[in-house]
Amino acid sequence: MADTILRVEELKKDFGALPVIDGWNLELTKDERIAMIGPSGCGKTTFLKIIADLERNFSGRIEKNFEKVGFVFQESRLIPWISVMKNLTFVSSDEEKIRFFLKAMRLEGFENYLPSQISGGMKQRVNLVRALAVDPDILILDEPFASLDMPVKFSIIEDINSLRDKKRFAIIMITHDIKEAISMADRILILSKRPSKIIEDVKINLEEKQRDISSTEFIKIESILMKKIFSI
Amino acid sequence: MKILFGILIFLIAWQVFSVILNVPLILPSPYLTFESLSHLAVQSDTYQAIFSTVWKSLLVLLMVIAVGMPIGFLMGINEDVYEIFRPAITVVQAVPVISWLALVIFVWGIGWKGPVVIGFLSLLPISIFTTATGVRSTDKNLIEMAKVYRVSRAKIVKTIYLGSLIPFIFSTIEVIIGDVWKVIVVAEYLCGSSGIGVLISWARQYVDVPRIYALTIITVALGITSERIVKMAFRKLLDKWQIPS
Repeated sequence: MADTILRVEELKKDFGALPVIDGWNLELTKDERIAMIGPSGCGKTTFLKIIADLERNFSGRIEKNFEKVGFVFQESRLIPWISVMKNLTFVSSDEEKIRFFLKAMRLEGFENYLPSQISGGMKQRVNLVRALAVDPDILILDEPFASLDMPVKFSIIEDINSLRDKKRFAIIMITHDIKEAISMADRILILSKRPSKIIEDVKINLEEKQRDISSTEFIKIESILMKKIFSI
Repeated sequence: MKILFGILIFLIAWQVFSVILNVPLILPSPYLTFESLSHLAVQSDTYQAIFSTVWKSLLVLLMVIAVGMPIGFLMGINEDVYEIFRPAITVVQAVPVISWLALVIFVWGIGWKGPVVIGFLSLLPISIFTTATGVRSTDKNLIEMAKVYRVSRAKIVKTIYLGSLIPFIFSTIEVIIGDVWKVIVVAEYLCGSSGIGVLISWARQYVDVPRIYALTIITVALGITSERIVKMAFRKLLDKWQIPS
């Protein structure tokens, strides 16, 4: 397909005698958002590292039709001794774009703060701004909200969803939280235990307004997914 | 207040032991020592000697930083360089001062070069290994982040490696500044032409033990004062930059 941004065929990865990923096949189109849910140690983060070229030792075929990657790490990975702004200009020289995303993420006025002077939620927002500032074709999110409380988590998700109206990019997210996955994804991939396989590819046909965690449609999908996940 | 009390206890203990021992050639009383110190305080030779020791120490400090840190940095950043340099530096570290002494007297005779070279060679390995350890302990997650965003190697070195090195640079300087006085005074004693070590050597020849103690007090005061000043300045900088020490 012309707008396929990522195609993975028979991806396998092991760490010595320990097989982790066992023949994944998936395709991601431009603008598409997928979330991956699976047990710990099933190779989710390893897969993201493979996509971001941080891990090159694997078998199978990966076709990438993108150039720029934005990676939102689980921990903010901000350089502690330089300001928020300098952390952002470390990866992108486009200050105008950085200021746009800082405003969109409600971080205006915190440019000169050091990472230690802002809250955990704000650090994750900076982590996200850094990923967006490089003008990514694909945004990779590695359990980015794991350490955040619910209101902060969903306000960031809301910000990401509203940003996608202005700037188009594909998203791959891994999470343990079904609510997060439904709030953000067009498809949810459910993974088995290690050595993992993609055992379900669930389409989330929800309008943006139905992605509210209290909507009936949301709760219905959540319960279907819960059943599938608990049956692994 | 507690420090003053500690000093007072030390002086009392010194006085008591000197009375019990009653051998001024081994342990003169605090009174004799401070009397000698007051004589030293009015002699211009003392200030010339202090100045001579201070500039040699500062020169050694600068040389050790200028040479040791770049080598340590390269060793930290590259495993092959580390393995190539490590044996030679370990040997330099293990060589006793007396061996360097024989060598420098043979090459330069008595003068300022000997103490400087001995001080430099004695402290260089500390600087190299501390810097290498600092670079090797750089947060690998930050390096990985920079690789994802395809940040240039030069920018990674400047921002991440050098930034994470700062606490190590400071602690290296703290360690070196504490040791450099001792090394320089010993080297001056053995092969110097001027400095506190030379005054101690002369005092030994005249069997003027209180003077040896008084000169030792000057050296200790220089060491502690410089170490304290450097520590305070670095703590302030680290606090300002929010870097954990």
